[in-house]
Amino acid sequence: MNPLDKPFAQLALVVLTVAVLPMFLTSGILATEILIFAMVVAACNLLLGYTGLLSFGQGIFFGIGTYAAGICLTRWSIPVPLVLAGAALLGAATATLVGWLSIRRQGVYFVMLTLAFSQLFYFMAYTFSGLTGGDNGLLGVPRPSIGGTVLNAPWSYYTYVAICFVAIFAILVMVTQSTFGRTLLAIRENEGRAAAIGFPTRLFKIEAFAISGAVTAFGGALHAMLIGVAPLSNIEYHTSEMILIMTIIGGSSSLFGSVLGAGFYLLLADTLSTIWPRWLLLLGLVLVTVALFLQRGLWGLVERGYDLIFRRDRAPDTPVEEP
Amino acid sequence: MIYLFQVLNGIGLGMLYFLLAVGLSVIFGLLQFVNFAHGAFYLLGAYLTYDLTMRGFNFWAAMPLATLIVAGVAALIEALLLHRIYKLPHTFHILVTVGLALVIQELAIIAWGPLGGSVPAPAGLQGVVILGDFIYPQYRLFTIGFTAVLAGLLWWLLEGTRLGAIVRGGSESPANMALLGYNTMRINTVVFGFGAGLAGLAGALAAPIRGVEPFMGAEALSVAFVVVVIGGMGSYTGALVAGLLVGVVQSVMTTLWPEGARLMIYVGMALVIALMPRGLLGRA
Repeated sequence: MNPLDKPFAQLALVVLTVAVLPMFLTSGILATEILIFAMVVAACNLLLGYTGLLSFGQGIFFGIGTYAAGICLTRWSIPVPLVLAGAALLGAATATLVGWLSIRRQGVYFVMLTLAFSQLFYFMAYTFSGLTGGDNGLLGVPRPSIGGTVLNAPWSYYTYVAICFVAIFAILVMVTQSTFGRTLLAIRENEGRAAAIGFPTRLFKIEAFAISGAVTAFGGALHAMLIGVAPLSNIEYHTSEMILIMTIIGGSSSLFGSVLGAGFYLLLADTLSTIWPRWLLLLGLVLVTVALFLQRGLWGLVERGYDLIFRRDRAPDTPVEEP
Repeated sequence: MIYLFQVLNGIGLGMLYFLLAVGLSVIFGLLQFVNFAHGAFYLLGAYLTYDLTMRGFNFWAAMPLATLIVAGVAALIEALLLHRIYKLPHTFHILVTVGLALVIQELAIIAWGPLGGSVPAPAGLQGVVILGDFIYPQYRLFTIGFTAVLAGLLWWLLEGTRLGAIVRGGSESPANMALLGYNTMRINTVVFGFGAGLAGLAGALAAPIRGVEPFMGAEALSVAFVVVVIGGMGSYTGALVAGLLVGVVQSVMTTLWPEGARLMIYVGMALVIALMPRGLLGRA
């Protein structure tokens, strides 16, 4: 194993990222958005990279978290930590339901089902506009406050999110290192064999879904407080697609790859969208290129670079194989 | 009377959904991958029809021409790009076709602008049919009849011809087809073009009914998924039954609960999946 893949190295890289982002970015909002999506994408990676489930439904949980925060904070004055915990619970519950229904089918059917469910939840949010604000979303979502001071300054909210992010990332690393995480890997590698040994594989998959949903909804709630709105677009199919794209571009073989994926996507979007409104065309081309030539994603590049510098003796990368 | 009107609308809509789903299904059957660019081909078919009629083409020329162009573009994409990815895991199939869908959508916005437009019903079908109290647009009746004939043709093509046998044989075992001397590479290209062409045709037929706009592809894709999930992948009859069911449910719901009409088709899907995970007519 590449030393960069070790859990402590991954955590160190995350702490480094949190410390370095403010030095390179002038926009605190962009930096905070990167951290929020980095955690959401890592949660998607728990499904894709560690369980082998390609979920097109992550936007559902992101949107659920967004609306949970939006509704609680604009209508009642519930303390933010409770709201975040509630959002995570709701996300886990929704993910359990969606996961339970989707996992009944495997492979591409599963993918198609998760996409169809993301449309289901989108139209639900659209239809019940009394609750969600419909097209307008919920306006005026407040930021959390600490000791009576509302975290309205961009970098103070960044710090708040950064602490949450490092904690969540540490939890995800622990999950992947645990027996539970190892079992997920076994299911990814050979579900039939894992089931034959006696693991209730469907239950494990649903649990992975629940964890992923909880983290994603948590991120969604943080996002609503960041932009001050709970918008309909957070539950759209495009959000699911975007989270998945970030995950694959970053590389699904390591959790930190997800941080790279989120950072790459959001920085690219931030730079290009001001120059050229049709930048998604370039994103499409990037996707095709990654699929053809960079199947281990940006993290694969990092690993290769590391090997080139420190371990010249290592055998070349093995190509991706058919599952 | 309003319900008869909506049921007819639903049948027309459902037949378009069927065309979309059957194209997706045929591509999946042979190539073993889900084409996430399918909605983009539908979009392209609609926009090409729009473009050609704006240039003064007759709809009757524009519709087949748009379909052929979409099929040609798709076949070209398959021959240049997709055959490289067949051996990769399905994550990468999805990545490439999602990327393609983005490229096509953005190119459509560059070519035709972000606002969309409307396509007039073809000359000769702009009026309505009046039967006592019942009034119905001619063009919509035409799409029902036309797609019904097409459905019959498709069934014959897939079940009764040599081409159909090759496609079915290829989906059973590409290696055996190659052993029998068939050029599987060429078959793949033709089938991908054919399936995408069906999506393009659905777009061309839909254009005079719903107009064109750049984001129509994403919705068509998810509806096609719902139809395939409800009907069962690879089942022609399943696609037909599910397409009609989804179309009629959506249409009738627009009278009963306009805001929830599109929600209902997804709720329906969730119910079907909860009760019968294989779909209505799906095989194991």
